Amino acid sequence: MEKAKITPGQLFILIFLFELGSALLIPLGLSAKKDAWLAILLGMGGGLCLFLIYQALYNYYPDILPTTYMQEITGKVLGKLLAFLYLIYFLYIAARVLRDFGEMLVTFAYDETPLFIINALLLFCIVYTVHKGIEVLARTGELLFVLLYFLAVIGFVLVVVSGLIELNNLQPVLEEGIGPVIKTVVTETWYIPFGEVVVFTMIFPYLNRPKHVKAAGLTGIALSGLNIVITMVVNISVLSYELVSRSQFPLLNTIQAIEVAEFLERLDVFFMIALITGGFFKIGLYFYAALIGTADLFKVNGLSRLIYPLGLVVLFSSMTIASSYSEHIQEGIRFVPLYMHLPFQVIIPALLLLIAVVKNRKKQRL
Amino acid sequence: MMIKGLLCFFSMLLSISILSGCWSNQELPDLALVSAIGIDLSEDGEFVNTIQVINPGNVAGEGIQNTGGSESPPVSTYTEHGYNMTEAQRRISKKVSRELYYAHTNLLVIGEKLAEERGIQEIFDALERDNEFRTTTKVVVAQDAKAEEIIKTLTSIDKIPANKVIKTLRSTERIWGENINLETRGLLQKLISPGTSPVISCFRAPGDEEKGEAIEGIQETQPPFRLQASGLALFKDGKLIHTVNGDTSKGILWVLDKIKETGVSLDWKQNKEAIVYEVIRQKTSVSAQVKNNQPKISVEVSAEGDIGETAVPIDLRKPHVLKDLEGLVEKEIKENLLSSIKKTQELQTDVLGFGEAVHRADSEAWKEMKENWNDEYFPEVEVDVKVHAFIRRTGLRNKPFLMDF
Repeated sequence: MEKAKITPGQLFILIFLFELGSALLIPLGLSAKKDAWLAILLGMGGGLCLFLIYQALYNYYPDILPTTYMQEITGKVLGKLLAFLYLIYFLYIAARVLRDFGEMLVTFAYDETPLFIINALLLFCIVYTVHKGIEVLARTGELLFVLLYFLAVIGFVLVVVSGLIELNNLQPVLEEGIGPVIKTVVTETWYIPFGEVVVFTMIFPYLNRPKHVKAAGLTGIALSGLNIVITMVVNISVLSYELVSRSQFPLLNTIQAIEVAEFLERLDVFFMIALITGGFFKIGLYFYAALIGTADLFKVNGLSRLIYPLGLVVLFSSMTIASSYSEHIQEGIRFVPLYMHLPFQVIIPALLLLIAVVKNRKKQRL
Repeated sequence: MMIKGLLCFFSMLLSISILSGCWSNQELPDLALVSAIGIDLSEDGEFVNTIQVINPGNVAGEGIQNTGGSESPPVSTYTEHGYNMTEAQRRISKKVSRELYYAHTNLLVIGEKLAEERGIQEIFDALERDNEFRTTTKVVVAQDAKAEEIIKTLTSIDKIPANKVIKTLRSTERIWGENINLETRGLLQKLISPGTSPVISCFRAPGDEEKGEAIEGIQETQPPFRLQASGLALFKDGKLIHTVNGDTSKGILWVLDKIKETGVSLDWKQNKEAIVYEVIRQKTSVSAQVKNNQPKISVEVSAEGDIGETAVPIDLRKPHVLKDLEGLVEKEIKENLLSSIKKTQELQTDVLGFGEAVHRADSEAWKEMKENWNDEYFPEVEVDVKVHAFIRRTGLRNKPFLMDF
């Protein structure tokens, strides 16, 4: 663990940016069709519950990283194995998100640039920031949060002023009952992006005022969740479900539809800035979690010795995990939620909490 | 210390040289800005693409009139064919010295033959998938003409013909309301949805075709060949089935809530179309009800406007006269809408979005009707039109000068 402290306000901002990271840009929860926004809203509810689990675990062990307290809860061998699996998980998801962002940039703006170059440049910035430590990442967040919110508000106002919003496109609500919505929540929106907050268990010990974790986390998730819901409502009402479902990046199409007064148009750069900012924090936080976890688990002194090797691992995995974008997305829909997100975000933390509660009761009785 | 400084300096230099440029940069002088695309169907079933490329030097400033130096037209056009859109478009590169750049393509013209015989679905995938082409591009159909002819015609006030078409559509949609300024995005939404079919504005280029392409053509006050908006093309299953004009197209756009301002002519006693009501703003809403598996549509219009013109002596100072006129306006609009609706029902294509209204009202019933909506349910659907018109002001005069004092 490095010697650094962040404030609850910074934690709030990091959570916010992390959640918006990719959720804002990808077609999220569309297996619920027109009710995608409802699925996201319910997913947010699930995410809040998960956060309470993570936070309860943190309350038992406020000064050490999860990679260490897993060993205390489940014993040395099993704990180390679990911690190791978590590191792999963080690295893999970091590589996935990097691939996501690289593919987006190639598809929509840099169609002749090789994916490797784009990924390498983006990762280079991230590695540099992470090298400077969590405090720098958090302060960068404070700056970019203001920028992102500013753009979001302007973008929203312009969409409304352009008269693009057709609320009719959202009707009928719950056309096929609540079933598909629940299914989407359980298989998709619960984990992406809300359950991904599990990364922040690695950040909690850096907080200077541990009591405020709960408030900062819950408001961060709620605010980002509401923003994603609003974005999805706007996407569907502007583009109609049919167009959203065929679009790789619905928000991009929504922004491209803006035409105000014949000169406020072609605002693709709004999308671009949101994309880069969100991606930067999402990959950065996953990478950081993997980094300090590795240092903690293998007792490596000094993070800088690990940064470049792990950076290369993320970069090359991001290139090799899939041969095409469709393959990448299919893996993300079929495999990752069920075999990775569900155990790592829900099952393992819940079991750990259960054991921790039982153990601590015993201690109190003794 | 020295070494560290040097290292820092060189890495900065490296960043500047690597990161500032783009991987595949294209300089402006190497780009051909495409302002419009026209798509036709050839005799042997190929797509024929015609593109209109801006000649930057001849558009800038007052070039043509003042200096008199330039004799070449503001745009050039190129035509190529191919069995799919990409083939046809990329083949054009054999004729153009610069790389074609589609991000500023504002207009898409669809040839009548293509729209009637092949349907328009096939052409949009390539356009939509491409990252340069914009879905805000406006779409028109070439009436009684090939798209190529529309693309090739030069225009006088707006030098770039694509801009002339778009501006005409925009202004006529706003003040007269027989044409619709339709974007690719909106068209695609309607093309996909089973509950509605698209309508697209038509453009015509009547006159002597040969002269329209030459620069002399626009050196007369009344060019021999000029572009003008005409009717409204109705589509069914992606194919053009009929073109309507005048009041029918206005009625259709009225139901679609696309009317902003327009004029409504009223008969007064024996005088035909003697009083004109100018609509300033209006709102139309369509709703549906399903009873016993029979859909019922109600269209509600509320319009607000002024008196624009009277050719008969009538005392507009009296409120009860205005009340009478409001009644006439309501009747006139209602008849217009009903006859337009009837026309689309005869053609069996739901361009009015009634299907979507039924879908919103009763999604269970809609599932059964969806398949046969256009052929079975839509022509028979019962439509109830309610119009509320308000006359707020009478312009700068109260009674006409025709009236005795």
